[in-house]
Amino acid sequence: MARQTLRSREDRPSVEELEDLAFELRSKLLHLCGTYEGAVHIGGDLSAADIFTALFQYGLDVDPSDIRNPERDRFVLSKGHAAVCMYIAMAIRGFFSYDGIVETYGQLDSAYGMHPCKVQLPGVEASTGSLGHGLPLAVGMALGARHRGEDHRVVCLLGDGETGEGSVWEAAMAARSNELGNLVAFIDRNRQLMTSFAEERVVFEPYPDKWRAFGWNVIETDGHDMSQLVAAIDALPATDSDRPTVVIAETIKGKGVDFMEHNLAWHAGSLGAADLERAMASLEANRKKETV
Amino acid sequence: MPVTFTFGEMLSARSVIGTTLAELGEEHENLWVLTPDIGATLVEFRDKYPDRFLDVGLAEQVCVGIAAGLAYDGNIPVVSGMLPFLSMRALEQVRTDVCYPNLPVKIIGTHGGLVGNGGSTHYAVEDLALMCALTNMTVTSIGDPLMVGEIIRQSMTMPGPIYIRLAVGKKDMVLYEPGEHEVRIGKGIVAREGTDATIFTHGTTVAQALQAADTLAEDGRSVRVVDMFTLKPIDEELIVRSAEETGGRFVVLEDHLAYGGLATRIADVLADRGVHLAAFERLGIPQVYAGFGEDEELRDKYGYGLDATIAATRRVIAAQP
Repeated sequence: MARQTLRSREDRPSVEELEDLAFELRSKLLHLCGTYEGAVHIGGDLSAADIFTALFQYGLDVDPSDIRNPERDRFVLSKGHAAVCMYIAMAIRGFFSYDGIVETYGQLDSAYGMHPCKVQLPGVEASTGSLGHGLPLAVGMALGARHRGEDHRVVCLLGDGETGEGSVWEAAMAARSNELGNLVAFIDRNRQLMTSFAEERVVFEPYPDKWRAFGWNVIETDGHDMSQLVAAIDALPATDSDRPTVVIAETIKGKGVDFMEHNLAWHAGSLGAADLERAMASLEANRKKETV
Repeated sequence: MPVTFTFGEMLSARSVIGTTLAELGEEHENLWVLTPDIGATLVEFRDKYPDRFLDVGLAEQVCVGIAAGLAYDGNIPVVSGMLPFLSMRALEQVRTDVCYPNLPVKIIGTHGGLVGNGGSTHYAVEDLALMCALTNMTVTSIGDPLMVGEIIRQSMTMPGPIYIRLAVGKKDMVLYEPGEHEVRIGKGIVAREGTDATIFTHGTTVAQALQAADTLAEDGRSVRVVDMFTLKPIDEELIVRSAEETGGRFVVLEDHLAYGGLATRIADVLADRGVHLAAFERLGIPQVYAGFGEDEELRDKYGYGLDATIAATRRVIAAQP
């Protein structure tokens, strides 16, 4: 089947272009967070923004004009509270209109809300939000793909905090038991829960070893270094391999905005006009620092 | 005199499930069977379709989650296991992963009610209340072992989820001759006609209700028995009609908490439709965590055995409106 796909296209964005797209995603996130009156999960959106960019603008074999193509890669957002980051990343990829998101977000009858719903928003692959549910769904999708002989990937994004849920480890065992090399989990390892720094409450370390012990292929990467994220995606094993892969991406909650970084107050919140200006200034200053 | 049934023979509902799924696997190439280590009766399917059979081991949550993931992509997953765990350990997966996106996952299980002598960890007595609360869920409870096969068959074309509740499923009395009643999800079965009162029941207590009706017939009492095997959507028309045709005298008998199951569903219909009864009694499990005992002993102990059913039916018939 001849299909124009992102993966087969020669003109995939370069690392520099991806960095620009990540900046665009963060800018749009902050803009929404500054105009919407309710709380936005901005901390975990910003920690995942580079991962979302690497996936939707580079790694995922998806086609916005053909959202039901059986051979598309499936993306399951297990950390469903980062929905708005996914909506905007998908808008940048061409799935939705950003204006449509920002104008209706959280309003009555809008398809865009705090946690994603496949029924309300076609293009989204699964209805999620309750933590620990995404990876089991992704295992089911990967099993189905294997059975039908399809070679697409199933990619699931989790927060590290939600891997406290036991169902994640049930799924980790099931994925290994069924040799699902077509399954990839990305972990947004921002080391913060909602109300505390993760390690203060739950001993996650030795974290990569936990996944290794469950039989997964482990890739460790800097979740804010686009060239490393691209390299991790390029290093994914073939879909017919026999081990699921987890990409543990070290991130910073609130990344890009100084007063949000590592700040428990910014798990979720809303920016007024003044704070939006301050946040944008910080985002731009940090970008300049990084490009120098 | 002992009560005899046209088809009093005993049959294993589980074997009917196994055979039915193995047959349907051929017809439906997208049919999957998943189980959390309760796969003994699924051997026939497993042997025929090993690549569409998944035993995840002891992990109910991921079992239901995987089923939902399979269903997202057009498969028909059947999850088979023990209901106390599927209905409670995996309740959130059933609700959020299956019912919320309205996926065609079929949940079939055993140990609905005080059956199997496992103690309260192993009795599903709240399950129908939990499942009936879930939007998009169809809820059934089956007594007749042959009917299980028919319900599974019908469920194949349903766009959404279904919950199919059985007792232990090892030895079940055949209640109906094949073809004797129209079996349709959402329609109650009038298992015995009658005019003095109606006993509504489902699952394992249908046989007991028929026995009670037979005993009362010896006293010249004409008792209708309704096998309300679909609790949701409930057959409102049959409830209203039975109120009119049996003097507004109802007994609801079930192997489930007396509040939250069929009796509650029927009471809701009566209240919503403004139907006034002459008498209404509910027989079911009280708010206790039951201990050990054989099924019949437990039903007697907790006040919904055969004698209690006969007595309650006599009372509603005698009640002054």
